[in-house]
Amino acid sequence: MIEIDGSRGEGGGQIIRSALGLSLVTGKAFQIKNIRAGRKKPGLLRQHLTAVRAAAEIGSARVEGDNMGSKTLRFEPGSVKGGHYHYAVGTAGSANLVLQAVLPGLLQADEPSELILEGGTHNQASPPFDFLKNTFAPVLHRMGPKLSLTLDRHGFYPAGGGCMTVQIEPAPLKPIELNERGALQSIEAHAVIARLAKHIADRELNTVGERLEIPHEHRHIRFAGESQGPGNVLLVTLTGEHVTETICGFGDRGMRAEDLAEAVAAEAQAYLNADVPVGAHLADQLLIPFAMAGGGSFRTTAPSSHFTTNVETVRTFLDVSFRVEHLSEKAWAVTVR
Amino acid sequence: MKKTVVIGLFGATLDTAKAAKRWDKWRPTLSLCRHEDLLIDRLDLLVQTRLANQTKRLAEDIALVSPETHIELQLIDFEDPWDFEEVFAALLKFADGYDFKPDEEDYLINITTGTHVIQICLFLLTESGYFPGRLIQASPPKKKDPGPGTYRIIDLDLSKYDQLAARFERETLEARAFLKSGIDTRNQGFNHLIEQIEQVAVGSPYPILLMGPTGAGKTQLASKVYELKKLRRQVEGAFVEVNCGTLRGDTAMSTLFGHVRGAFTGAQSDRPGLLRTAHNGLLFLDEIGELGMDEQTMLLRALEHKVFMPMGSDKTVRSDFQLIAGTNRDLYDQVRRGRFREDLLARINLWTFHLPGLAGRVEDIEPNIHFELARFGRDANRKVTFNKEAWQRYLAFATGPEGIWSANFRDLSASISRMATLAGGGRINQEIVEEEIGRLKRQWTRPDAAFAVLEEYLGAEGVEEVDLFDRAQLAQVIEVCRQSKNMAQAGRKLFQASRRQRKSVNDSDRLRKYLAKYNLSAATFWD
Repeated sequence: MIEIDGSRGEGGGQIIRSALGLSLVTGKAFQIKNIRAGRKKPGLLRQHLTAVRAAAEIGSARVEGDNMGSKTLRFEPGSVKGGHYHYAVGTAGSANLVLQAVLPGLLQADEPSELILEGGTHNQASPPFDFLKNTFAPVLHRMGPKLSLTLDRHGFYPAGGGCMTVQIEPAPLKPIELNERGALQSIEAHAVIARLAKHIADRELNTVGERLEIPHEHRHIRFAGESQGPGNVLLVTLTGEHVTETICGFGDRGMRAEDLAEAVAAEAQAYLNADVPVGAHLADQLLIPFAMAGGGSFRTTAPSSHFTTNVETVRTFLDVSFRVEHLSEKAWAVTVR
Repeated sequence: MKKTVVIGLFGATLDTAKAAKRWDKWRPTLSLCRHEDLLIDRLDLLVQTRLANQTKRLAEDIALVSPETHIELQLIDFEDPWDFEEVFAALLKFADGYDFKPDEEDYLINITTGTHVIQICLFLLTESGYFPGRLIQASPPKKKDPGPGTYRIIDLDLSKYDQLAARFERETLEARAFLKSGIDTRNQGFNHLIEQIEQVAVGSPYPILLMGPTGAGKTQLASKVYELKKLRRQVEGAFVEVNCGTLRGDTAMSTLFGHVRGAFTGAQSDRPGLLRTAHNGLLFLDEIGELGMDEQTMLLRALEHKVFMPMGSDKTVRSDFQLIAGTNRDLYDQVRRGRFREDLLARINLWTFHLPGLAGRVEDIEPNIHFELARFGRDANRKVTFNKEAWQRYLAFATGPEGIWSANFRDLSASISRMATLAGGGRINQEIVEEEIGRLKRQWTRPDAAFAVLEEYLGAEGVEEVDLFDRAQLAQVIEVCRQSKNMAQAGRKLFQASRRQRKSVNDSDRLRKYLAKYNLSAATFWD
């Protein structure tokens, strides 16, 4: 039984999701204590429960402590079964976070899977759908498994109600090198608006387009008319020779469209200036697949606290070693073996 | 793991919003379903039937933000959500019919939505255990924050509310002490009686019937009930008190129900009548058994419909009053004799309390002596006490077999007043006590004791109008009448000597004429 201290590192839900994913991959049982200790609302919250229950179903696991506010969770997985699954996340919580908990297991299941995930698809606290589809899935495909994502309905905070379909074709993961971005092929901007005035999108595109010198034909407005509630996200897609990065910013009440666009432009510029292929968010997502592959390396910007906590969690399940090397002010090399 | 069930009212205002702007508005019931740390398995949404179709959007939106929550619409009906009685009854009925499973489900009663009246009723029903759960209260977030705000769960069973409960208990105790005029009575039966009266007096607007002998404190208690209700803001009007034994003939009708000018000879101006004076207040009708049949009929109508017709008027007037009736007669017996309306008795005896006489409450004599002494002290502005021997002697007499107390508290009060007045230097000594005991004994053994029967038939004021010279005779006559089956039998007994001497021609007629002088008739005694 692997013992994990939930108060370690940044101490949030990430440890739980990583542990669930790794437990499904390795078949190792774990117990996590002090879940979200020190937080304002400690213990398991609803989105974590949904993830725990999804992982338990997919991995035929025996679970103890899967209730609201629980500070200890015991998870003993059985065999992972691919297939059709459908989960709905409440509180407009991110559907992507449920995917994080179950994906590692399904990547190496005996059969392909189709997940229908309902809830938030574009949330502040997690990578949006477009990131998973355009940035994460292509890298994963190069390692073996194929991830096809379809957005059926946008879901924004606070209404939620979005829906996406994820098809997973399992394959053994093989190590890759992701050290160069290669030549920048294009920059595109998408302003997504749901139930809000069009001028918001226009203003965002004008500002971000000017800052990043995006040609007009690459500035797009996406009307998410099917969304249940209002919402706005500005997405910038930077397509390089070897990798595509997605930068996003969320509109909020009281925030000027221009300010939002400036912030997104600045983040995109910082990524371009760093001259590394893997952004901070992608680095977080790649840790587990790289560890599962048992090798490989990538270059990224300064590691986040998410990243460091994740490294520790991975090492409690898998016998791999990480080397994180400071290359320059803005570039770090991560090697797995 | 128990399921979490929220029971709450659909807020017709708070829970609804224009379609386009609804995600900008804080909706309490929806907000409860949006909290990350609160998973609601089932929401029992109480809704008035006429509003049921307005819940659709709320239900759809809850399904989005809380797919885990199963929503059940519970139709509930009250016309006026501000009508306390109606709302309370509807919610109580709902609670009664609800299949609570406290072993399997955890209930949270949402007091955020609905009128204040609904919120208060939910609180009361939860506090009293009809809803076996905890309260939940949602609050909106700070301005511009799109989050769900906050919520609070309030467990009324928790010890931190003991202080509140204790305070509530203290107020109840104070109310009881109040009804007993602050006298620390010890008679269990009496204390229990006061407890019940307190509950009824505070809780209900219905008539109360106080039964008990003269001087048992009926008037005192009625006025205390009134003061208590006034303190609790349950009555606004006046306390109106009348002894029905003093109401005779035309004036009875007019005194109670009023008259308009010219209704009868001598009716020079309008008179509102006591019932109207007692509007929104409390009417105490002492010796209600003395009320004439016509007055009984009017009173019944006034109680049932809150309206009545003053004499000579063709318009009804309205008066909403609480009635306390007093009697020292057995009203059931009066009904059997056809002297009291059965329907009126049924109307007023919903709450009947029997006030025992002082001799039936020996434990309470001591605290009442203290009370009377204190009262004397206040009124006369000087403190009076017994010396030890005097106290022991008086108390032994008062609580012993010689303490007859035929006029109950009236006797006790007079006795203490006399002794206190005679006590020079504020000390009641043995001498004063011995004198007083002698006085009381004479009073109770003198024919006066039999005069109680006069009071029963004539009322206290009625007795005053009879010369002392005639009282013994009248009392004896009444006693014989009571023991006889009819006028003829009573006549035979009373005029036995004359009969033997063949002096009397018609005993019945002689008796009838005698009784008529005191406004008594055959109907007083026989059907």
